[in-house]
Amino acid sequence: MNFARRFFARPTAVFGFAVFLVIVLIALAAPLLFARGPLSIIGMPLLPPGSPGLLAGSDVIGRDMAVGLAYGARISLLVGIASTCCAVGIGVLLGAIAGYYGGVVDDLLMRVTEFFQIIPAFVLLMVLVAFLQPSLTSAVIGIALITWPQVARVVRGQFLSLRSREFVEAARVIGMGDAQIIFTQILPNALPPIVVVSSMMVGNAILTESALSFLGLGDPNLMSWGSMIGGSRVAMWVAWWTTVLPGLCIVVTVLALNFIGDGLNDALNPRRRG
Amino acid sequence: MPLLALQNLTIALPPHADRPLAVDDVSLQIGRNEIACIVGESGSGKSLTAHAVMGLLPRGVTITGGHILFQDIDLLKESADAMRRRRGPDIAMIFQDPMAALNPVMTVGHQVAEQIRAHRAISEHPALKQAQELLEQMGLKDAGRLLKAYPHQLSGGQRQRVMIAMALSLSPKLLIADEPTTALDVTTQAQILKLIKRLQAEREMSVLFISHDFGVVADMADQVAVMRHGRIVESGATRDVLGNPSHSYTRALLAAVPRGESHLPPPPDSEALVRVSGLTKRFRRGGLFSRPPAVTAVDQVALTLKRGETLGVVGESGSGKSTLARCVIRLLDPDAGEVLLDGVDIAHLKERALRPLRRRIQMVFQDPFSSLNPRQTVGDIITAGPRILGEDARQARARATDILSLVGLNPQTMDRFPHEFSGGQRQRIGLARALMLRPDVLIADEPVSALDVTVQAQVLKLLDDVRRQMNLAMLFITHDMRVAAEVCHRVMVMRQGKVVEEGPTRDIFAAPASEYTKALLAAIPGRGRTSNRPIP
Amino acid sequence: MKFSYIAMRLVKTVLVTVAVVLLSFFLIRLAPGDAATVMAGQTGYGDEAYMQSLRAEYGLDQPMPVQLWRYVEKVAQGDLGISYVRRQPVAEIILERLPNTLLLDAFALLVAAAGGIWLGGMAARHPGSAGDSAVTVLAMLFYAVPQFWLGMMMVLVFAGWLHLLPPFGIETMGADFTGLARLGDVAQHMILPGMTLALYFLASYARLTRAAMIDVADQDFVKTARAKGLTERQVARRHILRNALIPLVTYAGLQASILVGGSVLVENVFSWPGIGTLAFQAVQARDNPLLLGIFIITAILVSLFNLLTDIAYSVVDPRVELGQ
Repeated sequence: MNFARRFFARPTAVFGFAVFLVIVLIALAAPLLFARGPLSIIGMPLLPPGSPGLLAGSDVIGRDMAVGLAYGARISLLVGIASTCCAVGIGVLLGAIAGYYGGVVDDLLMRVTEFFQIIPAFVLLMVLVAFLQPSLTSAVIGIALITWPQVARVVRGQFLSLRSREFVEAARVIGMGDAQIIFTQILPNALPPIVVVSSMMVGNAILTESALSFLGLGDPNLMSWGSMIGGSRVAMWVAWWTTVLPGLCIVVTVLALNFIGDGLNDALNPRRRG
Repeated sequence: MPLLALQNLTIALPPHADRPLAVDDVSLQIGRNEIACIVGESGSGKSLTAHAVMGLLPRGVTITGGHILFQDIDLLKESADAMRRRRGPDIAMIFQDPMAALNPVMTVGHQVAEQIRAHRAISEHPALKQAQELLEQMGLKDAGRLLKAYPHQLSGGQRQRVMIAMALSLSPKLLIADEPTTALDVTTQAQILKLIKRLQAEREMSVLFISHDFGVVADMADQVAVMRHGRIVESGATRDVLGNPSHSYTRALLAAVPRGESHLPPPPDSEALVRVSGLTKRFRRGGLFSRPPAVTAVDQVALTLKRGETLGVVGESGSGKSTLARCVIRLLDPDAGEVLLDGVDIAHLKERALRPLRRRIQMVFQDPFSSLNPRQTVGDIITAGPRILGEDARQARARATDILSLVGLNPQTMDRFPHEFSGGQRQRIGLARALMLRPDVLIADEPVSALDVTVQAQVLKLLDDVRRQMNLAMLFITHDMRVAAEVCHRVMVMRQGKVVEEGPTRDIFAAPASEYTKALLAAIPGRGRTSNRPIP
Repeated sequence: MKFSYIAMRLVKTVLVTVAVVLLSFFLIRLAPGDAATVMAGQTGYGDEAYMQSLRAEYGLDQPMPVQLWRYVEKVAQGDLGISYVRRQPVAEIILERLPNTLLLDAFALLVAAAGGIWLGGMAARHPGSAGDSAVTVLAMLFYAVPQFWLGMMMVLVFAGWLHLLPPFGIETMGADFTGLARLGDVAQHMILPGMTLALYFLASYARLTRAAMIDVADQDFVKTARAKGLTERQVARRHILRNALIPLVTYAGLQASILVGGSVLVENVFSWPGIGTLAFQAVQARDNPLLLGIFIITAILVSLFNLLTDIAYSVVDPRVELGQ
């Protein structure tokens, strides 16, 4: 297909896609590879990477870093993808309604999204998660809540401009109903920017989750990359790997997602017409 | 010695363009104190030729051969800085869209003063004073206040006058005008053309005028060159070229120019199919906080339309002609009045009740690029309407084959996407979409204004043929009196939402009753001269 | 017109503030347990007297609208409650720390804007060049790096390895510098956290400036400017940059809320005594009134900053009276 060829024409997109695939595989395979789970203590603390049986060393209380990193991928991807799905669902629905029908609904939605743009979203997220009690669910809900307005704005803008295009007017003239217009005429044309924004949002959600966990607002029963860094701050000076490795995992994952987003952007909006 | 001479000029496009050369071996001379026109359709290379003289070709476009001699000096051999110093004092340029060509965040005064100060060592205050005098010379009233205004606060005509003032502020020997009136209304166009002509005579400068419109050329040019596909096909004195064209392309172009006189046989007599009365539409803007006063876009308009008849609605931008069309076809909800279709008032029907009636009124849109969904095939686009009405897919496709042939397209193209077609072909697809529903009324909203003149003539003929064959009632919206004369039995002139005058096309053209219609007719470019053109 | 625009923005700022207070009110009620247990946090369970005083304070025996009214009234008077952990008014604690945060954020914003516009402008002048690609790659990288981790890496490199700069705090403990010496000391301490905070925004400013300038450079009025015989420098500065600044001003307003979030993290990494570290301590100690107070105050500050950028916007773009 034309689209795939354009996407894979970019080396960064290929790199991003490959890396992302590997991370997904690791996340899926973690329970099979390391049945003991990431929280069990396996030996001496702060053993450097390459020590016998310890690919990535051990952490401050003697847990296997490699296991933690593999399980951390599960949390990062889960939170990133789940919260983005929620945010995209809400954002597309509300943005489409506001953009297509306009009027008071649109005014109201615009004020709400402006409000979310102005308030310090991360502080609100901290308050939310702290009040709801830190858990995987509250992280997903919280991140979705502060990010859906972004999607809603993009979708609304697309619908607003597409709504007045002549081909949509033509669809009304030949007697098409609203639902059919939205799904067959507008949505297919509005999809590219939604896809691009979504792929970037997964990366951002992963960053946000790691920040929450770093501050101790992650699920206390789960091992995530952010909580690994937060928990190793005391050992930063003596055991670099305890903070450097989980951080690199985050960087590589988010970078891969952003590369995918860039690739999608190019593949879906070819600059040359036709 | 000519002021400007192009010798074998060749301009190459970037590697991935649709053709290698934009301008191919063009030679041309412009004498002192004369207006030379380059005329051609889109893609003819006329605009790039002008930009090359100015030394302002876009990135990636390069001159690969030839010379541009200005007062016998080859501009292509000049250093970038020497060329820069010529822009303004020697050669100046004005552009198509004055709104886009003026810096939106700088006052008019500063923009004109900046031109002067770029080449003369004077300070801001006297420069502004000169700017004010220039604006006055351009016929702008209240020039002192205009100096402090921003471009968005001016009208289109005012902006183009500011552009001209700026271009002429250093008394250049050559003014390049690249389609300077294409973005303007016809009455404003007439004023600007007159202004350019007057200034040219007063200042004894030369003008290189780029246009696609033979009417404008007839009014303006002393010399004319006709360009096609990057080459000059014919050039000479305007009277010779327009009166006695030697090249077949020039003849075809001239034949395609609408004559501005009606020659249609009268429509068959019948009962009115559409009766509109008291139609009013207001627009209000603003959200929760701001409520500026409403604008009445269509004000108490009445019209009737019979089967087999074409009614032209003519007006400049802001006249409400498009809004009227959209109210009749119920893309907009009118605020008051009625639209009777066969005696049924559809003006205030709810969408659900309206939907079964929509089939009977169809529309052809203005923009060939945005009127077709880029993600659907031609077949899907034109069979969607019948499918909604419950027509079987196979039968719809079979009919689509016939309709595509009727509008002059190969039915084999049904599985292609819109971007594979040219502008004229797309308008045919749009017409096919409308005809598939076997409508009684066809509304055509500026259907040819985005097309080149030869394509325009073909589409106009097609619309007229289809109207006759299917006995359609047609409402034809246009800003162009010449086009209206070509296809309309009757014409309705609109201004600021109101009907100024209405009647048979022949009568309106021969003896307009209102001052406004007279002005519109007088503003038609090339009027009077086009009558002696050859009829093919 | 310009006046009514500013008046409108003022009204908006007030409305945002009101909405923030309402949101806080409902946030308290979102949590499991009654408002008193939330406001007291987990540590409050043992202290029944304190709980009672909280219930009375918030009028929890009253119907919801009365509770809301009381809450709004209290906040309007600047009363954000009492920090359970410190037994001190929340507003007082926050105001004491606020200047440190403002200092750090202002430094970061200035560095980011100046550096970003400069880099972006350079990149835009030669699109596709090595320098341009470098700017793009760096921007991509900084978008993907968690700020708190970047901070830790800066500490490891510049304080741990190279011993160039002090890693933690706002000034040298026990040195008791005064005057210029103290200023220099604080400035030294500010470089690492300030740069950490600034880098992300610098990257996004560079990217945005580049995009805006390339976009503006394609417009007709730039061709007009060249047709006037202006030098490339004049064209770039008077016509391209001037117009490209317009989206940047809007962007600065939008970035403010992200800046506050980044500042919470970066302050924590560098033990910078601002409201970010305070927020972390509040989370650790389950000091909910303090956390909520920080949300309200930062939200109001950010919306005030947005008011400023809106006014700046009306100065750089004369067309504002047209739209809204």
